[in-house]
Amino acid sequence: MNNRNMPYRLCLLTDFMKWREFSFKRYRKWLLPLLILAAMTEGAAIICGATFGKLEEGLLKGISFLGFMFPPDWSAFAEMVQPAFQSIVIAFLGTVFGTILSVVFALLAAANISNPWVRNITRLLIGLERSIPEIVILLLLIAAFGLGSMPGIIALSLGCIGMLGKLLADTIEELDPIMMESMESVGANKMQIIVFGVLPQIMPNLISYALFRFEINIRLSVILGAVGAGGVGYELDYSFGMLQYHRAFTALLVIIVMIFGTERLSYILRGKIKMEGALK
Amino acid sequence: MNTIEITLPSKKYKRRMTIFSVSAIVVSVACIYMNFNPLGFFAEFHFVRDLLGEMFMPNYRVLADNSSIGYSILQTLSMAFLGTIYGGIIAVILAFLAALNTMPYRIVRVLTSITLSLLRVIPVLVVILIFVIAVGPGVFAGMLTLVITTIGTFGKLFAEIIENTENPPGEAIYSVGASRLQVIRFSIIPQILPSLIANLLYAFDVNIRTAIGLGIFGGGGIGFQLQMAKSVLHYKDVTALISIIIVLVILAEKLSDFLRRKILGDGKLR
Repeated sequence: MNNRNMPYRLCLLTDFMKWREFSFKRYRKWLLPLLILAAMTEGAAIICGATFGKLEEGLLKGISFLGFMFPPDWSAFAEMVQPAFQSIVIAFLGTVFGTILSVVFALLAAANISNPWVRNITRLLIGLERSIPEIVILLLLIAAFGLGSMPGIIALSLGCIGMLGKLLADTIEELDPIMMESMESVGANKMQIIVFGVLPQIMPNLISYALFRFEINIRLSVILGAVGAGGVGYELDYSFGMLQYHRAFTALLVIIVMIFGTERLSYILRGKIKMEGALK
Repeated sequence: MNTIEITLPSKKYKRRMTIFSVSAIVVSVACIYMNFNPLGFFAEFHFVRDLLGEMFMPNYRVLADNSSIGYSILQTLSMAFLGTIYGGIIAVILAFLAALNTMPYRIVRVLTSITLSLLRVIPVLVVILIFVIAVGPGVFAGMLTLVITTIGTFGKLFAEIIENTENPPGEAIYSVGASRLQVIRFSIIPQILPSLIANLLYAFDVNIRTAIGLGIFGGGGIGFQLQMAKSVLHYKDVTALISIIIVLVILAEKLSDFLRRKILGDGKLR
């Protein structure tokens, strides 16, 4: 039979006819995992109170609600610009201070720079930090410092440690040991090795990780804003709370533009860094 | 005259210093704009110390006293699980519709790609706020949010994975008379299955973290309990809940790592 000259719909028909060739033997090993998965799904669905009907209904309701929000309130656009800028600045500062912090942590957590005891303890701290969601850190910081952008920036900086600290520590551990030995042999102390040997080498990786983290921080700053760090996230939450859905839609548009813009920017910059690294 | 040419501030040094000082100025201007003093964290550290003093020692009795906490842990877990399963299934279907080598019609491809890109940039906060209004606060709203965010995060990725499969096996069986669906079943699916499963396990890991955050905005689960304990100022309970969250996240990470190694370890997915 020549399928190639057949229209696509007819191909589907012949496929359907081939179901008769279905052999159970081929799929036997999949049966048990699939059954376990199905049972787990069913159990989880009971706990969540979800059925397929409700799932479909909920998704459709959510989408139709988006239509209800639809004409955005353009007059609120001017009010959104400043909070959006604030959100970006919060994310930027969080990334900068977080990167500085995580370089310190990474140096302490690298096996070829610090001693084993310090290394293990720092690795443990980094792992612990990684498993606390940023929003929990923010809630605690707000309890300590009160509302404002300061707890937001600190929460984002601390949130960087878990990811950047681990990535950078791994990068440092992969550095060429010969370089460090040769610096030591001509009399460099630890500080000089770090400043002139380690930092220049990890710089390209550092910048691209930091840019990646900046993207994440932009998203997080929107969420943190709703909890009380200010910025465009607060405007969004406030509009939802005041039932001003058209205004909320404006905020949503601003957020989407913000996220999309930073993503493009960081993509372009990372491409450039890669190019420069290749040219060297 | 035997002078040594002085090349000290060299070009490279000058360039480096310019970059450094410009970024220092930008950071300080941003700090001034936000009224943020980095040293303020240490100057006002007594606030943190007071809070830590109130938080310790964690009050684990709350687990026994408040029986809903155990259930809410289960809720968070099942929320993340269902979000991963349903979101993953929908993401795979959409990915097949968006990939160049499985979908012959251009218009469908473009439409699905646009949908996936849009879902990717919509922040979690917006989705949960919409669903809390649409279906009421609770675990179900959180679950729907996770479904949407999972589609957004992984749909595009799956489409790229499908497009990056190797062509020759598919062409080979196409040339001996396999139909399009058979090409997908016997050439593309065996190639993408390992990375699909690895990514879905990673998605579960991510969803657990997100699910905890969602509780604070009305998504139910352990995040909701945390928010409640914080708003009635029971900081010792908060510490207990945070330690439970840490254990939960670490366990989920280890489990997903273990399953990934177990399933993908010896390439038996053929």
